[in-house]
Amino acid sequence: MSRLKQIGNWFEQRLQIAGVIRETATHPVPRQSASWWYVFGSAALTIFILQVFTGIMLALIYVPSAGEAWNSLQYLNHDVTLGWFLRGVHGWGSNFMVAVVLIHMAQVFLFGAYKFPRELTWILGVFLLLMTLGMAFTGQVLRFDQDAYWGLGIGVAIMGRVPILGASLVHLLLGGPIIAGDTLSRFFALHVFVIPGLLIGFVSLHLLMVLKLGINEWPMPGRIVRRSTYVQEYHEMAHRDGVPFVPDAVWKDMFFSAAIIVSVMACAAYFGPFGPSGYPDPTIVQTIPKPDFFFLWIYAMLALLPPQMETAILLIAPVVVLGFLILLPFLSGEGEKSWKRRPIAVVTVLLIAVALGTFTKLATYSPWSPVMDGWSGDPVPVEYLNGRSPLERQGALVFQVKQCRNCHSIGDSGGKRGPALDTIATTLTRDQLVRQVIQGGGNMPAYGKNLNPAEVTALVSFLETLHLPGRPPARDAAQATVTKQENSPPASNR
Amino acid sequence: MSEAPTHAPQPDSKAEISRRDLFAKIGMMLNGLAVVVLATPVVGYLLAPILRGERGQYQRWVSLGDLDEFPEGQTRLAQFRNPISNAWDGDTDKIPCWVRRLTGEQFQVFAINCAHLGCPVRWFPQSGLFMCPCHGGVYYQDGSRASGPPPRGLFQYSYKVEDGKLMIEAGQIPTLSTTASLQTRSGGCQG
Amino acid sequence: MKHRFALLALMLAALLALAGCSLRGKPGPGPEVPRPDSVLDPVVLYRENCSACHGAEGKHGPAMTLGDPVYLAIVDDDVLRTTISKGRTGTAMSAFAQKEGGMLTAQQIDAIIHGIRQRWSQPNVLSGVVAPPYAAKAPGNPQPGQAVYNTFCASCHGNGNQGGSKAGSVTNGAYLSLISDQGLRTLVIAGRPDFNAPDWRSNVPGHPMSDQEISDVVAWLAAQRRQPSPVPYTANPSSTANSSPGGVH
Repeated sequence: MSRLKQIGNWFEQRLQIAGVIRETATHPVPRQSASWWYVFGSAALTIFILQVFTGIMLALIYVPSAGEAWNSLQYLNHDVTLGWFLRGVHGWGSNFMVAVVLIHMAQVFLFGAYKFPRELTWILGVFLLLMTLGMAFTGQVLRFDQDAYWGLGIGVAIMGRVPILGASLVHLLLGGPIIAGDTLSRFFALHVFVIPGLLIGFVSLHLLMVLKLGINEWPMPGRIVRRSTYVQEYHEMAHRDGVPFVPDAVWKDMFFSAAIIVSVMACAAYFGPFGPSGYPDPTIVQTIPKPDFFFLWIYAMLALLPPQMETAILLIAPVVVLGFLILLPFLSGEGEKSWKRRPIAVVTVLLIAVALGTFTKLATYSPWSPVMDGWSGDPVPVEYLNGRSPLERQGALVFQVKQCRNCHSIGDSGGKRGPALDTIATTLTRDQLVRQVIQGGGNMPAYGKNLNPAEVTALVSFLETLHLPGRPPARDAAQATVTKQENSPPASNR
Repeated sequence: MSEAPTHAPQPDSKAEISRRDLFAKIGMMLNGLAVVVLATPVVGYLLAPILRGERGQYQRWVSLGDLDEFPEGQTRLAQFRNPISNAWDGDTDKIPCWVRRLTGEQFQVFAINCAHLGCPVRWFPQSGLFMCPCHGGVYYQDGSRASGPPPRGLFQYSYKVEDGKLMIEAGQIPTLSTTASLQTRSGGCQG
Repeated sequence: MKHRFALLALMLAALLALAGCSLRGKPGPGPEVPRPDSVLDPVVLYRENCSACHGAEGKHGPAMTLGDPVYLAIVDDDVLRTTISKGRTGTAMSAFAQKEGGMLTAQQIDAIIHGIRQRWSQPNVLSGVVAPPYAAKAPGNPQPGQAVYNTFCASCHGNGNQGGSKAGSVTNGAYLSLISDQGLRTLVIAGRPDFNAPDWRSNVPGHPMSDQEISDVVAWLAAQRRQPSPVPYTANPSSTANSSPGGVH
């Protein structure tokens, strides 16, 4: 024991750090802030350390070359002992990190922790969020599979919408004219050197400020933040009713961080690593690119935005959102901290959460995408063919072969871009079916040029059979009148 | 300098401080100069991809193969090696495109990238439509927009026929702002 | 306390290391998404390329019953290969070979044919029976064809556009416009057993159709082809534009 102490003293004599550590560890925090609600920041840091560690491990094998990256990931997945597990931990760690950072941010916002004097801590946090998302995106690119390739294509297409500078930004992002070797190399540099370096710097500052300014006290309704008095009030509170950070508060941080790490490992072990999907060869056009989980909401928004507003929203919205997040502590740097007295804040968070959740959920089955092999791979339900005439069956064939199924489902399979057609005959009359097929409209292409009259007849005959057994098909009330007046031309078609 | 306290009055010591000051300032300026001198090539290095593009060095004529590979009245998938490529590009420098041969030497050569956000569109000869798997853009056989979010028709390459081969001018990924160079000659775009 | 946690952690680590080879998340052999042209499993190929029209199990689809052993007995591999590769002009069957603008390699088409044969062919289904040849040797004669139709087909399919009691019309001009002469011939010979349409032997019990009768009835049916006018009664279809209550959203 005394030998150990001697060694300790030897180091301490030179480093002179023990005092600082002791002071930091035992600094008083308000009693109520030693709460389970205050564990997310430390959890984010823990995952970041895990990511750095697993990232270095993966870099031992990974080849950052467009020609070899995909192969080296196959090697990691299949040949390197537990290589797949490290990939899994790194991939799931990324998902957990984004999630924890978002939760941390929401908690800080709801607890008013961004208010005076912690404005800069918040602003650094906003940049930390951006960098975390940047790491997630660049990481997806390093997977360099078909999803990464076409995901980059989407990023490039968005850049290409910037007025005047578009072409330059495209070439800058890609490092050349196309998505190729130079592109992967620069995303490797971003993912491995640039962003992690910035992250380490920003995280250090962020942490330093938490220590200097003290952890946010538990918000009490009615306890108002004023620039003139806050600092004094906080120190009084921390000393009067405070507990030392170690051990009173830190054990919760440690428990939660451990739980997160175990969860990451469990996910990696159970669900395995992400991809890589298909080999990055752009001539393989039978691919259906999809972004990673935390970018699914963007995928959904890009499909659902009204086309004429798309460019404006794509280019302006991020600036507005970022500007708002940065200006937030200046817009409401004082006043009430408690969420109980800040209904708009609560509603905003809920609204954003519900919107992101909905977009993400939608994007998991992407109803706006045609099912590219629905026409050849989704059988016509047998009950729609049994007892039908040859013409109607031929119509079902036209329905499949002309790729109607890619956008319209029948019997719950097929595309969801257009309406399901299982009961179409109860809503549209024969005439309306013919018109819709030939002229399209309402976001459906016109098929007039690609169907001959026989095909239209067969197709519409088939569509007319699609109604529930008990329900009569839609009927054109005017038809009887019109056909009665056979000799005179119809005055109105409806 | 060390004797300063004995007989030097105040102005002298001031002069000495200002001399050190001067050296410090010169030192800083030298470092600043070094940074500027270093920064110029670094910025040039970083912006090289842009400058090269602006000099128009990305576009070249490339062959898509013999004319008889493209039957009249049909649309076929063709591919070419990008004129600017590196040995370590793997297969990413193989670029596909859709070739529609109307009659004789009348062609339309469409980029694979959807005009919406660049996903690979697929041609369906049965219905005469190009469909995009990402956000549901659909185009007619002449490349004009049929439905979905794309703001225009499919991008088209300029083409010419030389020695029985179909040539296109290609070299960069088409986007809304890198298209112009792809359409200098043919100009037959429906979008 | 501390020791227990350490022990737990150690056990977890050991468990992980040991289970490394049998954890659920471990990727299976080969890449997650193979190159599309390297897929050679006939079941997968059939499901992705054929099942929509020809039925999930080779029957009960709107197009020809590939799972019918009688059909498979009269058709040979060359016909299947040509049909899949180049499609059939004038019908719904499109070309699937890459050379013809499709997405399949020659090897994949052979795999599909092999798979169809393996799953649904029955070697002895026509043993002892002289089946009419798949392709007509000489063009048929429409005049006697009508009588053949009345004898063999009309009892179910009836006469005229309304069809008969047991089955719909096969003399409908639009229907006939969508099916080739060979398609009609194949249907007459092999029937559609999945939809209770008998083959050439059982249209009239005990009286199989002869090759000549088949050729004649096909010729007569071919003469009934009419491209219909798609719009039944409206004078000017375009004037109803934008009045449809149900659009595509």
